[in-house]
Amino acid sequence: MSQRLASSVRFVPSPNATTVRRAFPLAQTLPWLAGPVWLVAALVTWRVPDADDFPATNDLAVLFAAVGVVLMVAAAGRRLSARAPWAIALGVGFGLWEVAQAKLLWLPRPFFGTPQDLLDVFQSDWRKLGDSLLHSLALLATGYLGGATLGIAVGAGLGRSPRFRYWVRPIMRLVGPLPPVALLPLAFVLIPSSRVAGDALMALAAGFPVAVLTWSGIAAVDPAYYDVARTMGAKQRFLLFHVALPAATPQIFVGLFMGLGASFSMLVVAEMLGVKSGLGFYLQWAQGWAAYPNMYAALLVMSLMCSALMTVLFKLRDHLLNWQKDGLKW
Amino acid sequence: MVISPSRTTPLALRLEHVSHAFHSDGAVVPVIDNVSLQAAPGEFVALLGPSGCGKSTLLRLIAGLEAPKEGAIYGDDSPVTGPGPDRIIMFQDPTLYPWRRVRGNVALGHDINGRADDEAVTTALKLVDLLDFERAWPHQLSGGMAQRVALARALVNDPRLLLLDEPLGKLDSLTRLTMQTEILRVWREKQFTALMVTHDVEEALLLATRIVVFSPRPARVLADIPVSLPERRHRDDPKLLSLRKDILAQLGHREDW
Repeated sequence: MSQRLASSVRFVPSPNATTVRRAFPLAQTLPWLAGPVWLVAALVTWRVPDADDFPATNDLAVLFAAVGVVLMVAAAGRRLSARAPWAIALGVGFGLWEVAQAKLLWLPRPFFGTPQDLLDVFQSDWRKLGDSLLHSLALLATGYLGGATLGIAVGAGLGRSPRFRYWVRPIMRLVGPLPPVALLPLAFVLIPSSRVAGDALMALAAGFPVAVLTWSGIAAVDPAYYDVARTMGAKQRFLLFHVALPAATPQIFVGLFMGLGASFSMLVVAEMLGVKSGLGFYLQWAQGWAAYPNMYAALLVMSLMCSALMTVLFKLRDHLLNWQKDGLKW
Repeated sequence: MVISPSRTTPLALRLEHVSHAFHSDGAVVPVIDNVSLQAAPGEFVALLGPSGCGKSTLLRLIAGLEAPKEGAIYGDDSPVTGPGPDRIIMFQDPTLYPWRRVRGNVALGHDINGRADDEAVTTALKLVDLLDFERAWPHQLSGGMAQRVALARALVNDPRLLLLDEPLGKLDSLTRLTMQTEILRVWREKQFTALMVTHDVEEALLLATRIVVFSPRPARVLADIPVSLPERRHRDDPKLLSLRKDILAQLGHREDW
């Protein structure tokens, strides 16, 4: 590796061209570094003896090697330029983790696992993890989507109807700021089905920010937008669905993002304390058995799930708000 | 009220003793004081007066966006009770919907009234020479272009009365000249009745067939002046200049001009 770098530096013809020329060969060399880094990690994993009796060490070596080969192919196909530094960093990171924990056992077990422990969990327990993921997703889907829909409806009512505002605003002000987690013990007592109770709490957690931001978005709509439509004969229905809500969409999405975050926390808490399935329940169960690798695996799956759902919401926003000049790129 | 009559029969407008007031902090602020006014079908009437005198409010009353406190407004002898697509108002700001493309903005009136007439939208876009920009978003347009889209959005409804609330007030002077010609051309082509609020005497003289001069708030009619100038007017025409002097005198600018 270092030879490769050195040879590319030797190309430099004169000192004053150094800065320009050196950046270019490095950018070309980096993709070719990623594969070998992973292959070295694989070799170390395979050849250096483990400090204890760990499962799946050879499988891990094969996995590292496979990643290394894929990266080499990607480099050859010139499809690994921008991501090369990350690919290298991850290879180095996994390699160091492997050496530090599996080969040298620097950190106390069982709180800190090895990469092969994690791999072993996915190999042996993938069915249960997958099942938990599906349960969490199902709970999220009904709770969050229900809460978001309700939030938009309540926000629209608050924004457009003085009578609705008169009756609902005080209730919103009293109940809204209460963390929905505080209602958890009550909800599990009052609602016989823990699944429905979890859904209701998640809907509440997501619904409040969505309602408030929909309301504020509609309140901020330029009155001239309504005049333009009214002068052409628009009725309340058109003003709500074709003027107020589209104009408030940027704000509504702020609420949807906040609501999604809130329903993630509510989901985990509800699953840990009452709902007998899902990733939160899996975490709780793993803690009960002191199965720390399982906890790490569940956390990894959970963060992938949350991140993927955020990405979906961002994509939806980019699609619906394509008329805006610019926005945050996720 | 007749919705969408056969291709633009211009509307006859009549205001009878119209007065209006706003309530602000418990006080009643009169804005329009006993205004009676008529516009014959196909006329181009300029409403001229100092800023903030209540001319824009008068247009909102005629459009039906608000009801007058006293008096009555008639379109073709039937009272105005609310907004309708035969009386379209064009505001000082283009107020295009940023979430609709140019074409979608022009088609707004059709969407509201449940009609789908792509051809009419295309015709309106051609009329203001913006067909090439039908896919553009409003934020990509210049001020003059946006105001032309607003004009097309108004015209696509085939208004029998077009209410222009200082639509050129915020444009730069060159764009303004182009737009004046544009509005005049469209008015001649479509033959609607036009009512234009302005505080630019020259603009009124170049466009209108009649000029109604208003007092400062609350608006009262000070003078009703027919503009008997040829169709193609020139801003250096001595007759135009003398009319301009008279009107400015009416508005209280005797010495400084």
